[in-house]
Amino acid sequence: MSESISVTPERPPSAPPAAPGPPGRRRRTRNVNVHRRREARTAYVFLAPWFIGLFLVTVGPILASLYLSFTDYSLLEEAEWVGWDNYREMFFEDTRFIQSLKVTTIYVVVSVPLQLAFALALALALDRGLRGLSFYRSIYYLPSLLGGSVAIAILWRKIFGTDGLVNALLSIFGIQGPGWVSDPDTALGTLILLHVWTFGAPMVIFLAGLRQIPQSYYEAAAVDGASKLRQFRSITLPLLTPIIFFNLVLEVIKSFQSFTQSFIVSGGSGGPVDSTLFYTLYLYLKGFKSYEMGYAAAMAWVLLLIIAGLTGVNFLASKYWVFYGDSK
Amino acid sequence: MNLSSRKTMTVAALSAALLTAAACGGDSGGAGDGGDGGKVKITFAYWGSDARQKLTEQAIQKFEEKSPTIDVEGDFSNWDSYYEKLATKVAANDAPDVLSIEIRGLSEYAGRGALMDLGGKLPTADLDQQVLSSGQIEGKQYAVPTGVNAFSMLANPAALEKAKKELPDDTSWTWDQWVTLAQEISATGAATGAEYNFNPAWLQIYAAQRGEKFYDGTKIGMSADTIKSWWAIHQKLIETKGSPDAAKSEEIGDTGPEQSLLGTNAGAMGMWWSNQLNALTKSSGQDMTLLRMPKAEGATTSGMFLQPAMFYAASAKTERAAEAGKFIDFLVNDPDAAGILLSDRGLPTNAKVLAAVKDKLPPADQKTLEFIDEVKSELSPIEAPPKGALEMEDILERASEEVVFGRATPDEAAAKFLQEANAAIAG
Repeated sequence: MSESISVTPERPPSAPPAAPGPPGRRRRTRNVNVHRRREARTAYVFLAPWFIGLFLVTVGPILASLYLSFTDYSLLEEAEWVGWDNYREMFFEDTRFIQSLKVTTIYVVVSVPLQLAFALALALALDRGLRGLSFYRSIYYLPSLLGGSVAIAILWRKIFGTDGLVNALLSIFGIQGPGWVSDPDTALGTLILLHVWTFGAPMVIFLAGLRQIPQSYYEAAAVDGASKLRQFRSITLPLLTPIIFFNLVLEVIKSFQSFTQSFIVSGGSGGPVDSTLFYTLYLYLKGFKSYEMGYAAAMAWVLLLIIAGLTGVNFLASKYWVFYGDSK
Repeated sequence: MNLSSRKTMTVAALSAALLTAAACGGDSGGAGDGGDGGKVKITFAYWGSDARQKLTEQAIQKFEEKSPTIDVEGDFSNWDSYYEKLATKVAANDAPDVLSIEIRGLSEYAGRGALMDLGGKLPTADLDQQVLSSGQIEGKQYAVPTGVNAFSMLANPAALEKAKKELPDDTSWTWDQWVTLAQEISATGAATGAEYNFNPAWLQIYAAQRGEKFYDGTKIGMSADTIKSWWAIHQKLIETKGSPDAAKSEEIGDTGPEQSLLGTNAGAMGMWWSNQLNALTKSSGQDMTLLRMPKAEGATTSGMFLQPAMFYAASAKTERAAEAGKFIDFLVNDPDAAGILLSDRGLPTNAKVLAAVKDKLPPADQKTLEFIDEVKSELSPIEAPPKGALEMEDILERASEEVVFGRATPDEAAAKFLQEANAAIAG
């Protein structure tokens, strides 16, 4: 850093001794001010890319989409103001919208608890000081990285096809399995399974949480003769509730926005018979298939409100079951 | 120079560089302002496979050789994202000068003022006039067909032979006979008799045989009875095991020709667009036979039609209308273009061009040509469907699935289909 040397004589190197006190002082404060202003300017210049990004890529489009949600906008023509029509249609006329809400809600309500239970169980199993823990951790984390990808969704489709791996296995036991992904009764179930399978991310967080629990608690409990199950219920679970809560909030938000799985597995239609019509998939179909971008924008805002509402409820409810060590 | 100002300069310079880089990256879709050596640049958007991209690039090169003042930039995407990209570009005032579009999207784009009237921009006298008219909306030629396909019944003679069945007489066969034949073939265990689909083209043919039009202006012209009796064919096929069950069929229906029953040599009959014959022949290794569609009882017309595989169109906002017209002219009227593209975008409808490239076409296409010649007098004219037709396939598929999966009675499903379909094209 050769420049830093040239910087040091920022201060007036030699204030003329002839002029006593005041002038020199004034100059010094002015110089400090200039210096501060320069620093601030530098900071803003450094921040500029982020600000530009925030306003151009995030805030701008968000406001635009709010405006568009009150319009009839086909993408090809100018948007036309229609007031609350989109919202009204959504809740009172559009049966597919209701269906998509239903499908998504079932998906979230079933898959998130299952996934968290699974993640916790594996975290507990892995937390026993296993040799090669990092290896297993990576292995189990892998599905989380891949789960949302197109390739896995395609693979899923193959595995659960009429002549897929699952049915081949079942046929060994003489069971004739259905076309899991192509039968409206089971299609959503396979997507839920796919979601549960991506338990890696919450598992890693659980593992970290388990490490935070002091070993001495268990030792004390063991001395008192508490069984493993009792230790889990009275020590592990309560101390882990903040982590469970964190994972719950995160996974609910994430799974409400699931798109890829249903898009690929259903061939982009949400079929069969709308049984896998996720909210975001329907939003996409409205926007880009039906050219009702205004309606799609309105759906996006409703989704935002739903997720915000659920997260709020989650936080409110957390008062009753989440235990923070430092409070009562 | 002290540090802070030097830092500021550096950061400013870096930011500027970044912004410039970003701007360069985003510029590819622009109309171009001359570029190298005073050339006029136009963009051409299309979708398809890698093979099509290669052919198209070759054709573009040939065009640039012939018209050295024009520089064509191909803008290729796969089918799934094509319309998203196109709609977004149109919305951003960055529409490609020349674009591909299919018949279902034509009214959407032309009706919303996104396409230019190509009338007089290129000679169209040598093109098949009946097919050409499908690119007209309210008398304006918004699009020019790239080539044609026919939706027809394909049969694998080897599978029929294995089941000891003879090819039916396709000039007189009925849907009932077809279903019975499928059932008999399945029963022998040699192959699955037939695969069904919910293709609106099939329903359109079926409706025409019953004297009804799929679209009547901006309304659905079919009666609920027609739709229900069409579904009865599906139901009977499933019941008699002439085709796989609903779930298996759903699975097959989501894939392409290569994974179909015909394509994998597991089935004997199926309905396909003629441009898929090539892929089916290749993947099955079988010499398929093209047959006329079976008829409804008492039908006076075959209902079959030639459908443009796709259209070339130009953006309403292009500043290079003349060049765009010239490029489209080359693609449809020049034997050099057809010599490269062959039947990739359907069989050429320009009689002169077709004569020039006929011998170069693969055997499957020659067969299709013969078939089309044979049935030519029985074909019905076709017009572009109204706005909202892009959704029709999904709406029909949904209603049909409800029927074959037993989620709704045909009555309920037909009512729902008519309501949804009418809403889609009215809006």
